[in-house]
Amino acid sequence: MSCPLLSLQNVSKVYANGTVALEGVNLTLHPGEFVSLVGPSGCGKSTVLRLVAGLGEVSRGSLDWHNREQERQLAFVFQDAALMPWASVLDNVHLPLKLKGKRLRPSRANLQEAINLVDLQGFEQSYPRELSGGMKMRVSIARALVTKPTFMLMDEPFGALDEMTRGRLNDDVLNLWAQKHWTVLFVTHNIYEAVYLSTRVVVMAARPGRIVDDIPINQPHPRTDEFRTSSDFNHYCREVLTALSHSETGSPA
Amino acid sequence: MVSQKSAQDSPNRSPDKLESRSEAHEVKAATWAGRKRQSKSSWKPSADWIAPVTVGIVAIILWDLGVRISGVEPYLLPGPGLVLTTLVQEFPSLFPSLLITLKITVAAFLAAVTSGLLIAILFTQSKWIERSFFPYAVILQTTPIVAIAPLIIIWLQNNTFLALVVCAWIVAFFPIVSNTTLGLNSADHSLRNLFQLYGASRWQTLLYLRLPSALPYFLGGLRISGGLALIGAVVAEFVAGTGGKRSGIAYQILMSSYNLQIPRMFAALLLTTLLGVGIFVGMTVLSDRLLSKWHESAIKREN
Ligand SMILES: Nc1ncnc2c1ncn2[C@@H]1O[C@H](COP(=O)(O)OP(=O)(O)OP(=O)(O)O)[C@@H](O)[C@H]1O
Ligand SMILES: [Mg+2]
Repeated sequence: MSCPLLSLQNVSKVYANGTVALEGVNLTLHPGEFVSLVGPSGCGKSTVLRLVAGLGEVSRGSLDWHNREQERQLAFVFQDAALMPWASVLDNVHLPLKLKGKRLRPSRANLQEAINLVDLQGFEQSYPRELSGGMKMRVSIARALVTKPTFMLMDEPFGALDEMTRGRLNDDVLNLWAQKHWTVLFVTHNIYEAVYLSTRVVVMAARPGRIVDDIPINQPHPRTDEFRTSSDFNHYCREVLTALSHSETGSPA
Repeated sequence: MVSQKSAQDSPNRSPDKLESRSEAHEVKAATWAGRKRQSKSSWKPSADWIAPVTVGIVAIILWDLGVRISGVEPYLLPGPGLVLTTLVQEFPSLFPSLLITLKITVAAFLAAVTSGLLIAILFTQSKWIERSFFPYAVILQTTPIVAIAPLIIIWLQNNTFLALVVCAWIVAFFPIVSNTTLGLNSADHSLRNLFQLYGASRWQTLLYLRLPSALPYFLGGLRISGGLALIGAVVAEFVAGTGGKRSGIAYQILMSSYNLQIPRMFAALLLTTLLGVGIFVGMTVLSDRLLSKWHESAIKREN
């Protein structure tokens, strides 16, 4: 494979209150990968994402970017849509550009493209409270798109959505990933979602947060409903599930 | 909304074909509950007025009857009719005083809003500043204004107006500081991270994130502070008045009570109260206007 985009070596994270959120995490990401992190609640998945995004310091170990340029091209989709309630959809999507000093008018076409990509045309002037949960999430994704990122960090973006919307958005993300040549680090609770989307599923365990398994999903993209119902899919899911239950019973000392 | 209505018209035909009877019942019950709530909410604006106005009218009638039946002397308790006629008679002498009080209140209020906002912003720029100065804001707030008003009036002897404004400002500024500080610090955590991620400057974070987040809190502070500015002004005028200094409406209340012109005192009191109510209503309207688009407190949700 090509040279890595980013590697975490023996990374530990201890929060100010003494919580050991991560211990000895090794993870390497290559350009173009779609990596899902799965694991029980509180095992440090969000912490990994936050460290990668630079929202917090590594306590021990090292986090190295192969190319600093890439670091500036990342976008983060938070678990809650994190929209500004006082701003319209358009203004929310405009935010990253506004913070870089770009005015609304000249970037209008760019914003519209992002809004169209997530299928929200016609809602530009709506306020977040007028949108459903899934629509808010899509605004959040559109906001991530406008900076033309190459590296996407997504923290349980579809955790609160129903199965139908989740499926649709999964396909949307996969399309964008293929179209825009993204690298994606994706956190989810949902094993099926992880297997369906990813080129690799990384399984984590809690107390202390660590990686217990790394399962490549060697299946071609684009993925279809056929894959969802195939025996291969079942096989992968079972493998992830086994790794998860091992991690919960804490068999590795 | 439309579908709900049609379901009410023919409750047996629910819009979705439901399998089980119990489910259908539940839907029916839900629509009925919804209808009840709906009709209540559509009456709400008038209920907002009718209930308190009724209470007021009943109280005034009782007051009138009480005064008539007991035969209490007007210099102890005048009836509502006498207060009203006095108000009309004395209006030319009372109204200019009311304007003076209004001026003091507005000046103190504006001073409280600007200083409170600036101090709150300063507090949120550094934990150290907040820790060092917040206790003194509290001390200023908890010191009884009646106790320090004489001092301030003596210090600012040749400018009574300014002295009164300072007193009212002391009373009015704390709610703005404490509310706005709370608001500036309560910006959503994920949004803060987002701003950090996109390399927002301190100034941008303040302008685009912290200040809008603080707006509802700030407006809550305004509502309290508007009333307090008036109270501060009135208290300071009383103190100044006992020292023989002429000022606004409170001075008139004081003089009327000295001269046993109790109906006039009541009339002046009524004017002051109306001013206070006016300030509160004004602030509420302003706050609803500013928040109408996005904040829960100002939105009429259809659930
Ligand atoms: N700011 C913080 N300060 C102290 N401890 C924290 C902080 N953030 C997270 N933790 C702790 O670190 C551990 C990992 O948290 P993290 O949010 O990374 O878990 P997670 O895997 O994302 O969980 P979930 O699936 O529930 O979102 C938890 O035990 C949590 O209590
Ligand atoms: Mg998390």
